[in-house]
Amino acid sequence: MNVKRVSALLGKEFLHGSKNYIFIMAIVMPILISLLFSLVFGTLFTEKPKLGIVDEGHSQLVAMFQELDSVITKEYGTVSQTKQAVESGAVDMGIVLPEGFDAAVTRGEKVNIEAYIWGESLAKNRTILPVTIADLVRQMGGQEVPIEIESVTLGDEVSIPWSDRLLPIVVLMAVFLGGLMVPATSLINEKEKKTLEALVITPTTIGDVFVAKGLVGVVISLFMGVAILILNQAFGAQPLLLVLVMLLGAIMAVEFGLIAGALLKDFTTLFTIWKSGGILLFAPAIIYMFPQIPEWIGRIFPTYYVIQPIVEISQRGGGWPDIATNVFILIGLDLILIGVVMFTTRKTMQFAI
Amino acid sequence: MNPGIIKTLVAKDASLYLRNRLFAFLTALGIVSFIVIYFVLPSSVDEELEIGLYAPVLPPVFELIQEEAGLKFQIFESEEALIEAVTEGDYAAGVALPADIMEKFASGQKPQITLYFPSDALEEVKDAVEVMIRELAYLQTGQPLAVELSTEILGPDMLGEQLPPRDRMVPLFAVLILMMETMGLASLISNEVEKGTGQALLVTPMSVTDLFAAKGVIGVSLALGQVVFFMVIVGGLNSQPLIILTTLLLGSVLVTGIAFLVASMAKDIMSVMAWSIPVFITLSIPAFGVMFPGAVTGWAKAIPSYYLADTVHQAANFGAGWGDIWPNLVILLGFNLVIVWGGIMALRRKFR
Repeated sequence: MNVKRVSALLGKEFLHGSKNYIFIMAIVMPILISLLFSLVFGTLFTEKPKLGIVDEGHSQLVAMFQELDSVITKEYGTVSQTKQAVESGAVDMGIVLPEGFDAAVTRGEKVNIEAYIWGESLAKNRTILPVTIADLVRQMGGQEVPIEIESVTLGDEVSIPWSDRLLPIVVLMAVFLGGLMVPATSLINEKEKKTLEALVITPTTIGDVFVAKGLVGVVISLFMGVAILILNQAFGAQPLLLVLVMLLGAIMAVEFGLIAGALLKDFTTLFTIWKSGGILLFAPAIIYMFPQIPEWIGRIFPTYYVIQPIVEISQRGGGWPDIATNVFILIGLDLILIGVVMFTTRKTMQFAI
Repeated sequence: MNPGIIKTLVAKDASLYLRNRLFAFLTALGIVSFIVIYFVLPSSVDEELEIGLYAPVLPPVFELIQEEAGLKFQIFESEEALIEAVTEGDYAAGVALPADIMEKFASGQKPQITLYFPSDALEEVKDAVEVMIRELAYLQTGQPLAVELSTEILGPDMLGEQLPPRDRMVPLFAVLILMMETMGLASLISNEVEKGTGQALLVTPMSVTDLFAAKGVIGVSLALGQVVFFMVIVGGLNSQPLIILTTLLLGSVLVTGIAFLVASMAKDIMSVMAWSIPVFITLSIPAFGVMFPGAVTGWAKAIPSYYLADTVHQAANFGAGWGDIWPNLVILLGFNLVIVWGGIMALRRKFR
């Protein structure tokens, strides 16, 4: 391997490759998906009951509801808007507070509230919302709470919010889209345009080409992985350890990319592999999304050993002792894949010559 | 249009597709992965708040509340057993009432109630349980509530028979499987354009119409075959099979038309990918709306796949009949006509 030639190839890859669709997509797509997930899914996956309110007077109950953490409150202008929101499932229940509601409650008069319930609303939400309404109305009416409550939390596990559960899939996508697709498409492109043949006539070896393309993939993959973690404020307390794991993950992605690029004839096959086999790459991230699925299933997939240390450091505040075993397995997998890449390099050399 | 030529071309494309074992294997793998995900997802909905209760003396309102839908109380013999069950995560919360609760209520004192929560309990669950216990205490002490709720259920009442997440995801999977074929078919056509085989075919007695008809048939067959296979395995055709099959057929035509459009815009296979991704994401949005009701507003109706996802959802999950979904099918058909026509026109220009 010649460092000068690899550097020249690297420069060419960055200069010309950056105009490539895949190169742009590898950078833009993870950011877009991350933004989409944090903006939209962050609140969608919440299990909090949702209440829609039409306030025909100026009830302070609306503000009291908005201060609650246990209920998501949305205010609507008209009854028909509320009914529409309930019918579409945007809220579990819609209520109409009549004019003079607060004054009537303060006077202790019985007030009727119209409530619309979404047919698909869960039974527990149908119970929680009326009880919460009752509780707030009692507070408004100045009723004294007849009990004292002491809350005790047991055990040491923590709940995982959906925004955290989705992070592994976004990180994996960022690492593998750049790390796998960029070198793979670049190699296939060279093969299709016969430029690989032209290259190996020069003193450049196939190994030089693979190293240059691999380095581009590693840089993009690592950069995007780190960028996604920064965007999601999930860099944790051990940034250097995290970067090390991301680097090992980027190497794995690149190795897969180089193997695919060396073995596949055309883009169609590569995209078919991405669309069908890609789900196997992301399987551990899907398992993280649903804690009901046993974690051992994730261990079957190589990407588990990338994502487990990342989650451990960034979300659970883990350190080296918590991830050491999986990092060693990851290093082992990377070494095995290097062997496979070297084998496929020889195959590509035969093809190119 | 010459049926003989179309048949030959379809046979050629199908044979090319099947001859490529990797393609066939990966296509099957994709479908199998969706099926596996479907079966791994929870098959039931946790509709109730399960609460453990230790009550040496059970106040009457606590007896009444046990009949309330949405709450499930389990009585424990000792506080230790309650704490153990809550720590194990078997219950959303544990409520321990003091032995002298009724005496204290009677004498106007405030009894202390202890609530136990597992450490992974969500804040909203903690708040909700506290609010409920407070409300029960109000009721037990005979404090009247100044409001009365008159309720009306909107839409089919699914209480006790909620849709499990995996069934809610069926329309999303169906749309994703169909959309993936957009990419496959667009790359097939783009390949013909890139290699010049499309133009070569047009030198033969085959007309442009024959070419599009053949590509259309192969595109629809591939997309429909895969999605129907998926639906059969996951039981998606158990309710209103004819409606769902018709909808999926229209969906297959839709993705074929979109594939024509993508192929007409793309220069090569790389740009097929680049154009397909935004199209793919846009068309998936309505299916996410089915998964997360209320997440997408009216604007989603401007996306053709809304009528596909909504119809599959209504028919498969609620047993909607022709009378309920015919407007969806008419709109989907309208979109199909426009998109397929647009795709053919755009591709025709490209072939020239």
